[in-house]
Amino acid sequence: MDPLVTTQFLNIAFGIATLAVLALGLAIVFGLLGVLNIAHGELVMAGAYAAWIVQSAGLPYALAVPLAMLACGLLGWLIEAGLIRPLYARPFDTLLATWGLSLLLRKTAEAIWGLGYKSVALPLPGTVDVLGAAYPRYRLMLIVLCLAGVAALAAWFAKSGAGTRIKAMVANPDLAQAVGIRTGRLARNAFVAGCALAGLGGVMVAPLTPVHPFMGIDYILESFFVLVVGGLGSVAGLVAGAGIIGGLGSLVSAVADRTAGYTAVLVIAILFLWLRPRGLLARA
Amino acid sequence: MGSWLAHSAAVAVVLVLLPLGLGDFAAYQLALYFLYAIAALGVGLCWGSAGFLPLGQAMFVGIGGYLSGLALIQFKGSALLLVLLPLAALAPGLLAFGLGLILFRGRRETGPYFALITLALSLLAFQIANGWNSVTGGFNGLKGIPGLPGLDDFSHAYWISAAALAVVIAATSWLSKAPAGVLWRAVAQNERRVAFLGFDVTLTKAAVFGLSGVLGGIAGVLYAPQQNLVTPQLVGFTLSAELVIWAAVGGRGSLYGPILGTILIGVLTAELRNTFAYWEVLLAIIFIVVVRWAPQGLVGFALPIVERLRPRPRGPAREAPARVLPGGGAAVAFEGIAASAGPVQILDGLTLAVDHPGITCLIGPNGAGKTSCFNLLTGELPAAAGSVRFAGRAITGLPPTGVTRLGIARKFQIPNVFPGLSVAENLNLALWGARARARDLLKLRLHRWSSPLLRELSERYPFLAEGRNRAGDLSHGERQILELAMALAMEPRLLLLDEPCAGLSPEETHRVIDVIRWARRRLGLAIVIIEHDMSLVKELADRVLVLHQGKLLAAGSIAEIQADPAVRAVYAGGTK
Repeated sequence: MDPLVTTQFLNIAFGIATLAVLALGLAIVFGLLGVLNIAHGELVMAGAYAAWIVQSAGLPYALAVPLAMLACGLLGWLIEAGLIRPLYARPFDTLLATWGLSLLLRKTAEAIWGLGYKSVALPLPGTVDVLGAAYPRYRLMLIVLCLAGVAALAAWFAKSGAGTRIKAMVANPDLAQAVGIRTGRLARNAFVAGCALAGLGGVMVAPLTPVHPFMGIDYILESFFVLVVGGLGSVAGLVAGAGIIGGLGSLVSAVADRTAGYTAVLVIAILFLWLRPRGLLARA
Repeated sequence: MGSWLAHSAAVAVVLVLLPLGLGDFAAYQLALYFLYAIAALGVGLCWGSAGFLPLGQAMFVGIGGYLSGLALIQFKGSALLLVLLPLAALAPGLLAFGLGLILFRGRRETGPYFALITLALSLLAFQIANGWNSVTGGFNGLKGIPGLPGLDDFSHAYWISAAALAVVIAATSWLSKAPAGVLWRAVAQNERRVAFLGFDVTLTKAAVFGLSGVLGGIAGVLYAPQQNLVTPQLVGFTLSAELVIWAAVGGRGSLYGPILGTILIGVLTAELRNTFAYWEVLLAIIFIVVVRWAPQGLVGFALPIVERLRPRPRGPAREAPARVLPGGGAAVAFEGIAASAGPVQILDGLTLAVDHPGITCLIGPNGAGKTSCFNLLTGELPAAAGSVRFAGRAITGLPPTGVTRLGIARKFQIPNVFPGLSVAENLNLALWGARARARDLLKLRLHRWSSPLLRELSERYPFLAEGRNRAGDLSHGERQILELAMALAMEPRLLLLDEPCAGLSPEETHRVIDVIRWARRRLGLAIVIIEHDMSLVKELADRVLVLHQGKLLAAGSIAEIQADPAVRAVYAGGTK
């Protein structure tokens, strides 16, 4: 295969794989709890700043992973207790509250670190030869890790007792509570897990993009479009959505420019909302 | 009308007196915030009245601004501007209306989809404005935009903005007092009921969004000549976010909330942004506090007083025009209907007919498909196979609004009214839905509509005449009656009742039965009732249909049904 084609192909695979992980946390919170956390993008931002802090302090980059997940998980715990829990089953109010939260996180980051771009160096420099194309080692590693991670989570959700309890809670919260499932705790754990995943996503993308207070908006929108196109409630939907949004975005951006890529993604999302509002693979 | 004039005059007086207390420069600054206030009012209408949240409203301000700037540069001093500038304000409104039609179609929830799509659109608009150098001037924007011809002095800015604000307040306060405003608030509370009163929900929401687009457009069109500059910031995310914050903090539910919020927060921000680094953090916290604990914003503290001052509709009651229905009778026919929800087959080759006036009771064990019959007939449940005919035409798949307009009214099992509206407004909506044309909804006198049938109902149930009580404050039994009264006020030819006596005391039940019988005589309509209570069925039914596992098991008089061995087997728990 032409090395250029291979590189493009890998780039698209990279776009899809990272988008799937970025959207995963949002999918968990929206699909399972019915809460669209607009601050999800700002948690990705927080994770990226965590990576920058770790690197600036001269610590090993891998340390950023637990730090970001812990910080975002803790934030998620606070958010759930303070804002989300009183507003469950009121989707409009949670939308507003998390929107306010995204504003708060963004402005806080702006007040602390300023509007300037921070750059994070690649923790894993160099390239690997893939079918004749020299492809960045770090990106290749991310593709493999993301796909493995999503697959592992899907398997866990399908097989584990906790997965079954979550499904029970989603299908019928009152009945789930009546048969002894602690839905409150389960919902909180799911929310915290979603936030921690956002932090992980931030650490992943930090070396590949400028880190700044407004970076979260792009991630929340892209992740949201993944859910619109793929549909809620299944891992297959998530992967399909990430495939279409990530693939289309990368493809059109490569052929034309970034604005065209963004337009294409937005048009697809609107078409889906209009013609297929439940997405490709929504669970009934 | 009188109160509206007084109100508009008061606004004008305040706007004229305001600059006396301020310097020229303060007045000039205020002019900008008046324009933003017009756009924020649009956000308030969508969010506070009609119940959906636009997060990208700056898009419309920016489009108006760019169009206006381009027109002013191209046709400097030309009389053509008298046409072009109003068009530039209307264009964003048309765009919003079109977007609304697409985005609201088939979606009955106020979820996040609409909000995030508008947010994404405003980001896209920013990218286009930023990248399209040849037209928009790119990142640096359109520079050197001339002022409005003849009104380009520094001191004119305040008066132009103030006049625009006064006109916008007068127009929107008329609209929110008019039946249209009641309809918007009804949409925010219960879209399903609105559709079952015969209103087009998608069109209503799109119209409100379109109006908010025009308000954004007006702000943008006046912004360009006042600031002589339009940059991509005017379409972008930051202004969109600010408009929402201003509307929320001031109070989205009222006309003045967004205006006060814009002026107050806007001026404070201009003062504090550079001296107090954490001002915007504080503002975000204030926003969260408002959302969580004070959804009515600052104006919310004054609302109880305003509510008491609100004048009653004055003048004599007016007779609502008679309802005009297309011909065709009230016969319903299901032919080989199949429908399923997920893997479950709910209706399975169902064929039935209701073809004469009088009361038909639909009975059957749980899960037989009774409510699904109603859902299918009214277009809420799609048919996988078969056809539905009503009034001599095929109506398979016709949505609730269309079915209602053909003369079907439906009362749900759980009371389904507009809890935040008054009893009178609930009843009026039923009258308007069946009888008013779209343009009638702008006329205040429709508030005084009444009908002989409603007056007779009010004699039976005096609480219906005490129109100012909120429907949400009524007892369960009263809400059941209110919903029944709304269905009857529509004067349908087919009335669908789903367990109309559920949750009522024996005495209330008795009175409801009485009203149903009276309505049948009075209106000569066909009534289909889903009922579990066999003693009620015996009292009411002229004819009984028995459903079992999605099929018609038996049809006939109550005596025939009771004698039917198949029915006895099902109810005795025999063959399944």
